[in-house]
Amino acid sequence: MKKVSFALNGIVQHWEVADGETLLASLRREGYFGVKFGGCEKGECGACTVLLDGKPVNSCSLLTVQVEGCHVQTIEGMGEHPDQGWKKTAGLHPIQQALVESGAIQCGYCTPAFALAAKALLEKNPNPSEEEVREAIAGILCRCTGYLKPVQAILKAASILRGEVDEQDWIEDTGVPLPVDWPSGADQSPAPAGDFGSPEKLVLTRRKVFMPRMFITPEVRQKTLSRVGKPELKVDAIKLVQGKPAFAADMEKRGMLIAKVLHSPVAHARIKHIDLSKARALPGVAAVLCYKDIPRVVYSTAGQSDPIPGPLDTFSLDSKVRFVGDRVAFVAAETEEIAEQALNLIEVEYEPLPAILDARDAMKPNAPIIHDEPEYVNFGESNPQRNLAAQIHIDIGDVEKGFEEADRIYEAEYVVPKVQQAHIEPHVVVTYWDEDDRLVIRTSTQVPFHVRRILAPVLGLPVKRIRVIKPRIGGGFGGKQEVLIEDVAAHLTIATGRPVLYEYTREEEFIAARSRHPMRIRMKTGVKMDGTITANEMRVLSDTGAYGCHGLTVTGNTGHKSMALYVGDGPYRKSPNIRFYADVVYTNTPPAGAYRGYGVPQGFWPVERHMERISRDLGLDPIAFRLKNAIREGELHPFSTAWSEGREPRPEIIQTVGLEECVRQGKAVIGWDQKFGNPEWHVVAGKPYLRRGIGVALVMQGTAIPYLDMGGASIKMNDDGSFNLLVGATDLGTGSDTVLAQMAAEVLGVPVDDIIVYSSDTDFTPFDKGAYASSTTYISGAAVVKAAEDVAEKIKKRAARMIKEQHPSVQVSPEDILLEDRKAIAPGGEYVTLAQVALNALHHTDQEQIMGIGSYYSPVSPPPFAAQFAEVTVDVETGQITVDRLVMAVDSGVIVNPVTASGQIEGGMTQALGYAVCEEMVYDQYGRAREKDLVDYHIFRANEMPKLETVFVQTYEPSHPFGVKAVAEIPMDGVAPAVGNAVLDACGADVFENPITPERLWRALKEKQSVADHH
Amino acid sequence: MKPAPFEYYAPTSVEEALATLQSLGYDGKVLAGGQSLIPAMNFRMARPAALVDLNKVKELFYIKPTSDGGLAIGTMTRDSVVEKDPLVSERFPIVPYVVKHIAHPQIRNRGTFGGAIAHADPAAQIPALSVALQARFLVRKQGGERWVNAEDFFMGPFMTVLEPEEMLAEVVLPPMAKGSGASYQQVSRQKGGYAQAAVISVVVVDENKRCKDVRVVLFSVGETPILSQTARKILVGNVPTAEAIAEVAEKISKDEVDPGTDIHGTAEYRRHLVKVLVRRGLTEAFERAK
Ligand SMILES: Cc1cc2nc3c(=O)[nH]c(=O)nc-3n(C[C@H](O)[C@H](O)[C@H](O)COP(=O)(O)OP(=O)(O)OC[C@H]3O[C@@H](n4cnc5c(N)ncnc54)[C@H](O)[C@@H]3O)c2cc1C
Repeated sequence: MKKVSFALNGIVQHWEVADGETLLASLRREGYFGVKFGGCEKGECGACTVLLDGKPVNSCSLLTVQVEGCHVQTIEGMGEHPDQGWKKTAGLHPIQQALVESGAIQCGYCTPAFALAAKALLEKNPNPSEEEVREAIAGILCRCTGYLKPVQAILKAASILRGEVDEQDWIEDTGVPLPVDWPSGADQSPAPAGDFGSPEKLVLTRRKVFMPRMFITPEVRQKTLSRVGKPELKVDAIKLVQGKPAFAADMEKRGMLIAKVLHSPVAHARIKHIDLSKARALPGVAAVLCYKDIPRVVYSTAGQSDPIPGPLDTFSLDSKVRFVGDRVAFVAAETEEIAEQALNLIEVEYEPLPAILDARDAMKPNAPIIHDEPEYVNFGESNPQRNLAAQIHIDIGDVEKGFEEADRIYEAEYVVPKVQQAHIEPHVVVTYWDEDDRLVIRTSTQVPFHVRRILAPVLGLPVKRIRVIKPRIGGGFGGKQEVLIEDVAAHLTIATGRPVLYEYTREEEFIAARSRHPMRIRMKTGVKMDGTITANEMRVLSDTGAYGCHGLTVTGNTGHKSMALYVGDGPYRKSPNIRFYADVVYTNTPPAGAYRGYGVPQGFWPVERHMERISRDLGLDPIAFRLKNAIREGELHPFSTAWSEGREPRPEIIQTVGLEECVRQGKAVIGWDQKFGNPEWHVVAGKPYLRRGIGVALVMQGTAIPYLDMGGASIKMNDDGSFNLLVGATDLGTGSDTVLAQMAAEVLGVPVDDIIVYSSDTDFTPFDKGAYASSTTYISGAAVVKAAEDVAEKIKKRAARMIKEQHPSVQVSPEDILLEDRKAIAPGGEYVTLAQVALNALHHTDQEQIMGIGSYYSPVSPPPFAAQFAEVTVDVETGQITVDRLVMAVDSGVIVNPVTASGQIEGGMTQALGYAVCEEMVYDQYGRAREKDLVDYHIFRANEMPKLETVFVQTYEPSHPFGVKAVAEIPMDGVAPAVGNAVLDACGADVFENPITPERLWRALKEKQSVADHH
Repeated sequence: MKPAPFEYYAPTSVEEALATLQSLGYDGKVLAGGQSLIPAMNFRMARPAALVDLNKVKELFYIKPTSDGGLAIGTMTRDSVVEKDPLVSERFPIVPYVVKHIAHPQIRNRGTFGGAIAHADPAAQIPALSVALQARFLVRKQGGERWVNAEDFFMGPFMTVLEPEEMLAEVVLPPMAKGSGASYQQVSRQKGGYAQAAVISVVVVDENKRCKDVRVVLFSVGETPILSQTARKILVGNVPTAEAIAEVAEKISKDEVDPGTDIHGTAEYRRHLVKVLVRRGLTEAFERAK
């Protein structure tokens, strides 16, 4: 131990630390939870950034003993809530304020790092260029925002700090002017031609928020809403920008143990012998568990509603391991170091079994059987004897006849990779017994209610003795729609009686978390010479890895969405011919699971690459060809009567399709007509080895799972006329708490900050299936509206009575009352305030708690649509691709909050860009992961980004009270194929497998050259 | 995870540091910026028994002009300081340009010029840069010192001629000759990633545009930075025509590099990249030469 004296946020500290402790560990131990653990401990993510003598450094790569005599700053020293009862403070730092107001905060996990890096930058350089800002934050990875809004926020803060803007102007809510819209009408040009999409020209509202472009249909324009549709500040932004201890690991518990897991080093083996005695004997070890120590309960880790649409094939611990990274034993110890040491003392003898590492080998006759356990529970067509986790056969119309009627048939095989969600907050859970002997699970999850239901049998506890708390989540993207590690901590708490923290490292995220299903996809499409699609077939081999979890539903979605877009034209439009066959197989690789887009990006890579190639081969305009065959308003979703995840399918008519408008808007923004087919634009002066290209992809997604997933909400009125909104819905950084509050505020006629949102806790909030399937705004939103309407009705009844008492001459019935400006107003203008109503209800007359509850499930899953565009520059000698620009015009129905929604689009496009050009997970011949950190697995940084632009085409979806459809997943779908098509446009090389790495493109170019040489 | 236990020394002078290193022998390890060493210790890939932290040795942080027009850089000078120093950009404009390619600001705010050299990562920029610029290293130990040419310093991946009790103290960059030009070319999956192949080219031409000297240094395509002999043989004494440059590029990619196949690319592709990058680099360097 050494004494260290240093200044922390301006206050001198004398700490006693071990020589080897990093500053990250010391700060968190001392309660500075604004310094975040990104799991890497090697300087790759920047979540642990602090300022050391004014300069940003990674506190994970700095020993605490080294800061002797230095100045250290953390977010805790930057600014605080301005109003603390009778005490007023200086408030937030202008950088924090700008981050809040610009919508730069999504999950908020990396926000403290951004704020500190910005502070260091602006102290040195008060007038930075955008490029300098991007460089300054390049060391901080963010997986939510796409960096656009953080960069805008820092530029805005710079201008405030330079004194250019009256500070008051930023904070004051002047009511937000309507965003831009362009006149609708078929023959009006949607926007001036050419390249006008630079961020400077984006619209700045009076509250100085960068707004995305909007196209508003007349149906939407008719609705006058005061809260829905406005760029309200995120309800959780203030706490996140201060780095408050809001995340699962940001807590202290006396006696808390640290959990570690021994992961299998081999791909497929039986545990012949395991000896835990030495590990157990190590001082400081509280428990070591292997499969012999806990009950053998088969379950599925997929966070889905009951019954889980997939096989039950998983055990907390088993005598067999099925992938490198599978669990062998659990340890709980006083410190992380002791736990690690204990892992090294566990002696295991494996009996190796042959492993399947390539999905194409899984169903070969003599393939080893990965799931031979007798407890295996089948679902649908699963068949463990054939390593088949699921199988799907969907035939719509008469596909063979369609092929016969075609003039040409196009066939090709496409390959999509396994990729990682890579949320910056790793999986993390804390478990403990409460004073009622109920097990509390505080976990970073998207599905708290599913966690409780699924784990109850695994732990031997009834549901009623488990409480799951979801604090703030540092990103999930589907990775946390999995009951992945909660059982580890829970078993160890049961074994020891003590609180347990289990936090994944970045390496564990790569070897033992979930990922996107890799697939091989064969397309076969019949087309007439005029471009009419007569039949379309997709055959998929999907690799679920060692466990089946989301295999069926993800793979089903691949066809259900991507193959529904092109129904054909003419007679084919009325009865499309579509086939979708899929085998979902087991391999001895880490399981795939849910990842934003949920199978659909895997479908649109082949579909949209295929459509591009067909249109070019037929000499047709690629966009006209697509629109000719695309599904239209009022048509039946072709899959709705064919397949519903193993449940009974029921017809769904698609009521809103803004696809043509998306194409028009997107083309105008990117300047399609000036670039596509224009040879001059395709070359770069002075650089003969560079070529430019432009590409498009049209896509659709779904909104929620019909007849299945339910969301609930309750609202309670307080003495002052404010409301508690309790939702089971799970905000994982997406902004759902905010849009739900906006909907409640709209109905109740109050500002958004009168709605105190709490999500989610299985003890306190109503049930919600959780955050997945693009459903929260739609499903949980509808539930909130119902609850709010329930409350509004009670308020109006009481208000009518109160107004009558005050104005005996006035005739007023509850239906005539309007809730607005925190008042209940009669048609004649007489009113009572909501605070008066609340006091009246709680204390004065006919006392009652004004409260409402609502729940909602949907009979339909209205698809959002989008046109996604990409512009690239290709180096034809090296194969290097630079994506210069991404534009997405999207019909997500009514946009509840343009800032949070565009944040979703920007972040989604950025993840999808990784899928397009650099992200993939590969395994060696022993099944060991090649990528185990965020250096080798490259995700985009702020200084590597293309220009991102969003256009919202707002249709009014009649099935929702405010006309909304989903936003969050669809941006994942079209980027990779648009980039692939742009690459084709640039250099004529066809790449069938993404990501299009430099080497892959170089090989495709070589191939093209050798074909050309041949002719 | 916490590093394995070790003794921590924070000397405040070079003498004290050298004495400590001497007394520790094989147990001692220099801690410079720590951007490679501390992560390695966090993962227990490095388990030094003792650390000698140079961060409090003020006399190792400097950039000084030398009278001949070169520079002397103290080993502890941070990458971010080198990157922004006006004297460095004036005398060696290629240096800040290359240093900017290293990771990102947090790493460059801590990582040191000398630390990168001592670390000898085959994928790192600064070792190759030092070879291209004919740097000389002052290596000190208690009671002694020696000068080592950059070319002779790197023995293999993460291996140098440094003995455990020795410390790299200073890097001297001799002045760029009149008529010099330099270029840096790299290909990585994305801008901020490690290079799949990279080349630093420094050329000198006479008044007649004839090549007087050429130093082509490749990295990420072998175990250490590779100084091309072929380039010299073919180009020195001649006017560098496009054909001659192409020939050099072809030969280097065939005979002088030994790329492996790894996570960042196959050997075949890297060889191809070498060819393209050498051609582009030499062309650009000769264009810049004046
Ligand atoms: C996420 C990440 C990305 C990176 N990307 C790049 C990149 O793109 N390019 C690149 O070149 N580097 C990269 N690095 C490495 C970084 O530049 C290292 O900091 C640098 O290579 C080592 O310098 P250091 O001062 O941090 O040395 P340290 O980590 O302190 O030391 C490294 C080694 O050198 C020895 N050593 C250091 N100084 C001396 C001395 N004076 N005498 C004797 N021995 C000494 C140490 O004992 C140790 O063995 C990256 C690092 C990280 C964490």
